Amino acid sequence: MATNKSSHSGVIVLTIVFAMLLMILPLPDSLRFLRPEWVLITLIYWAMAVPRLVGVGFAWVVGLLMDVMMGGAIGLLAFSYTLVIYLVLQFHLQLRQYPLWQQALSIMSLILLADILIILVTPTMAGWYVWLPAISSTVLWPVIYPLLRTVRRTFNIS
Amino acid sequence: MLFFLDTRTNYFVPVRSVLSTVVYPIQTIAAFPKELTTWLSDNFQSQQQLKEHNAELEVTNLLSSIRLQKLKALERENIRLRKLLGSSFRLRERVVVAELLTIDLDPSYQQVVIDKGQRYDVFVGQPVLDATGVMGQVTAVNPFASRVVLLTDPSHAIPVQINRNGLRAVASGRGLGEPLQLEHLPHNADVRVGDILVTSGLGGRFPVGYPVGTVVSVNFPQGKSFAEVGVEPAAQLATSREVLLVLPAKMVEISKKSPETETETETETETETETETDADADADAEVQE
Repeated sequence: MATNKSSHSGVIVLTIVFAMLLMILPLPDSLRFLRPEWVLITLIYWAMAVPRLVGVGFAWVVGLLMDVMMGGAIGLLAFSYTLVIYLVLQFHLQLRQYPLWQQALSIMSLILLADILIILVTPTMAGWYVWLPAISSTVLWPVIYPLLRTVRRTFNIS
Repeated sequence: MLFFLDTRTNYFVPVRSVLSTVVYPIQTIAAFPKELTTWLSDNFQSQQQLKEHNAELEVTNLLSSIRLQKLKALERENIRLRKLLGSSFRLRERVVVAELLTIDLDPSYQQVVIDKGQRYDVFVGQPVLDATGVMGQVTAVNPFASRVVLLTDPSHAIPVQINRNGLRAVASGRGLGEPLQLEHLPHNADVRVGDILVTSGLGGRFPVGYPVGTVVSVNFPQGKSFAEVGVEPAAQLATSREVLLVLPAKMVEISKKSPETETETETETETETETETDADADADAEVQE
């Protein structure tokens, strides 16, 4: 198994690209508002697991690409992703120790923080459904965490 | 902050164009499964289905060509009358067909991505129509694709007039699935449920006379200075797959027009679809008399 840093980053970038695909994959209208923040939770996982490779700068670049892809104001998602990843990096040692459900709850608060930032700036007709992505992301975290851990162990990224 | 600068200024338009070219492959991949299923259903239709479909299309074609005959006569009459008045006449607009990329964007914005970009001379502000009415306008372009903001986007407003009496108003979006609202109409405005709204052409962005929607509700709330008028968009915002990009029509002074300039404009605007060229030619012949 290759252990050099560039191939590790490659794997991480691939998972992010996959998450971006999931963000824009067409869903039925009833499910659209339930779509989890795939990219953000993938970023959070990598920042938590390998803070050496995934930092604030990487989060900013990913956020910028997401901004352009989703068509919002440039820099909005970049800023909120950067903020969330900064917090994750501050607390990554604690986060790793938590049991899975507690991790999920911390992640919910982080995603809510990002959502609040976005909602403050977006000229949207806000309804209760804008909070649904945070909830669906939380519910899916216990699935995504083992999945990404498997990826990380397969490619021996640490 | 970056997003503040972006929403208030235009400095980031080229940046956005470059970055959106970078993410375009991801968007195409995301649209692929849907395209595949449509391709499969297109290719594996039974002969019976195709026959039925064909018959249907023939009927609609017949009906439209009958209407078109009448329209041509009206157009000639219109040109004659305008010539009498000595006023300018807008030539019929030409259109390019584009297809939607089936991807979901942020549900809080009402935007779609289409598969034609700068390479087809798509430009920011270009009106976008579908078969039944106005859909919206282009907000951002990159070489391969462009982004269209729909009528229902909260940030979008379109100048309209009521077909029945010519009353002008502005229809602004209210978000996904919500009817458009007519802004700043006084309580005594002559609006009725069922009125058809068409573009008024004010503002110079949308061409005149395309259907925008139908009035579905009229309320005069007590204590408010303006009427609340709900408008159902005419375009199939949720289901259209093909859209038409309108190329701007040229204002032509009828009295001072020479035949050479006319033929030039005819040939230089190539569109890849068949655009009523014969109708235009007819109109030209009429004009040159």
